[in-house]
Amino acid sequence: MKKMTGLAMVALVLASIVPIGAQSTQKPLEITFWSLFTGGDGEFFDAMVKEFNASQHEIVMKTDTVKFDDYYTKLTAALAAKTAPDVVVMHQDRLSTFVPNGVLLPLDAYAQKAGIDLASFEQAPLNNCRIDNKLYAIPLDVHPLIMYCNLDLFAKAGITKLPESLSELFSTAETIQKKTGAEGIAADNTTATYKAYTLTRMFLSMLMEQGVTVFNADNTKANFNNEAGVKAYQALSDMVNKYKVTPKGLDYDSSVADFKLGKAAIHFNGVWVTGLFEQQPGLNFIAVKFPALFGKNAAWAGSHTFAIPVQKTIDEKKIMGAMKFIDWMTNHGYLWAKAGHVPTRKTAVNTPEFKALPHRSDYADAAKYVFSTPATPKWPQCYDAISDSLEEAIANGRDAKTALARMEQTINDILKK
Amino acid sequence: MLSRDVDHKKRDILFFSLPYLTVYVAFMVFPVVYGLYLSFFDWNILSTKVFIGLKNYVEAFRDPEFLSSFSHTLQFVLISTPLIIVVGFIMAMIAVRPTKTGKIAETVFFLPYMLSTSVVGTLWAWIFQKNYGLANQVLTSVGLSPVGWLTDPAVAMTSIIIATLWWTAGFNMILFSAGMKQIPEEIYDAAKIDGAGSFTTLTKITIPLLKETSLLVLVLQVIASFKVFGQVYVMTGGGPYGTTRVLVQYVYKTGFSYFRLGYASAMSIILFVVILLVSVIQLFRKSDNTQ
Repeated sequence: MKKMTGLAMVALVLASIVPIGAQSTQKPLEITFWSLFTGGDGEFFDAMVKEFNASQHEIVMKTDTVKFDDYYTKLTAALAAKTAPDVVVMHQDRLSTFVPNGVLLPLDAYAQKAGIDLASFEQAPLNNCRIDNKLYAIPLDVHPLIMYCNLDLFAKAGITKLPESLSELFSTAETIQKKTGAEGIAADNTTATYKAYTLTRMFLSMLMEQGVTVFNADNTKANFNNEAGVKAYQALSDMVNKYKVTPKGLDYDSSVADFKLGKAAIHFNGVWVTGLFEQQPGLNFIAVKFPALFGKNAAWAGSHTFAIPVQKTIDEKKIMGAMKFIDWMTNHGYLWAKAGHVPTRKTAVNTPEFKALPHRSDYADAAKYVFSTPATPKWPQCYDAISDSLEEAIANGRDAKTALARMEQTINDILKK
Repeated sequence: MLSRDVDHKKRDILFFSLPYLTVYVAFMVFPVVYGLYLSFFDWNILSTKVFIGLKNYVEAFRDPEFLSSFSHTLQFVLISTPLIIVVGFIMAMIAVRPTKTGKIAETVFFLPYMLSTSVVGTLWAWIFQKNYGLANQVLTSVGLSPVGWLTDPAVAMTSIIIATLWWTAGFNMILFSAGMKQIPEEIYDAAKIDGAGSFTTLTKITIPLLKETSLLVLVLQVIASFKVFGQVYVMTGGGPYGTTRVLVQYVYKTGFSYFRLGYASAMSIILFVVILLVSVIQLFRKSDNTQ
């Protein structure tokens, strides 16, 4: 027995000394990354990374997915300690939190060196990743606020045209609600497990449709206590309080469930629920860009981007490897579109694979009308505060003047700090 | 010889408590001291710290969100503390019975306490979900109108307290039943012979003899209630429109979402001082009573 063990030991030692084939001489470059995708999104992303790894032999991408709730906390700590991975996924609206602290690399020169054709990107989302004219991230997708319509309920009420203006939106919703008994517009206006962000997303989009940004140019003051703000707020409040086409106290989960189960005619949400609705048997719907309720098109959008953290020592080889990965991922955006998101690269949209996907092409043009949220590190806090204020004002049926004055005060206090 | 034994004993005490002390200093003492230090700075983790004196503390007392969060926490403490203690006590009375049902009850009552915050929060968020949740299904099936358990500002905090009660009363039950088991059986026998009914036995024997335990439960429960966070975060996210936002949640948001570490530390220190004061007052009252 002892002899056997001894032999095995010798064999092990020998095995570790003798090189195994020629593979070890051409070890692929290992590049680490973090992404924040979980659930449905996560599966599609992981599959893409796997395909990238299989598509070439120079680079191997290694990851551990961080739970979304903690993602930015962990990322911030890692950035502070300069132990962040080589590439990270980041929401575009978080860039302004990190860029001023010098923890992300400007990418213009590297993109050029890696031969990434920036002109092949939709310019609106790409430019949203620029701060002080420098490119700090490359957008993988935009996920704009869009409008979902239940075609069966529309037909049942004898409506053949999708709403294209504010008055059409309300009249359509009222008609369907009256004729079919279904809910007119499922738009969440109450916080339950999620904040009622849809209100804020609609409010921001409606402001932008009137050419007004939510803050002033240098992000020091609120810019919605004005005529445009009154119109936008009034529309949201009327939807719930005057026309009563949206039930009061509707939370996010209910709004999604109502549309999914065919109980609501119109639903406002990000593109990310498309996949969920597709899986619902018997749900006959169309997904289109957020309507131009106030003249021109504009839609709030989130955007997943790739950024490269500044490391203790800059390893040019790794950065170029990372750029190659980013190039591949954005070029193969049609794979990512399965998760519902809109690819940012024309080379990904103009593929037979993308065009073969149902629903996506109906709202792909939404990417042209996306705008960026204010580039200030205070934005996450303001986003929460605006959501709370709108929710409070609409739940209590406040008039526009009171609601906007209070909200302005809250936001100005945050921006002043 | 004797003094060497004493020396050895001292050395052993130090030696055996070293692992605990190391962890305690690294994860309790150091963070508290560092938090106090940070509370005088403006810092977002990535920036350089800027000393701003007491400005964070001044800001807290002028910040409507801090004040409202604090009052929500206070509201939670005042309502949940007596409720969870009384229910824990009643559970203990059922659980200490030397019967099979007593044993089963003890397990059933304690089981929820073993679940993690996120499990409890998610579970109750679904039960209380307005349109599809179990609670409203039950209400509507008996002809009552549905309640906005988590979406009605007048009800949301109550829903959170119900979930917390279900979750944590079992812990108090364990403490109470341990205390009850230490009361000698002879006292009850004597009382029975003297003709005392069960109510008299409860008020004249069980409750007075559990004074020490009750105080422990009270102090622990008050501290736990002040620290309420997880179930609120999962169930209502502080909503509707911030009406259930509690202090620890605001601290968490400020620190880890808005990255204002200095201000978040200052608010934590304020909470720390409040909990400390309340605990010390309770303990002082104890020493008064025992004299």
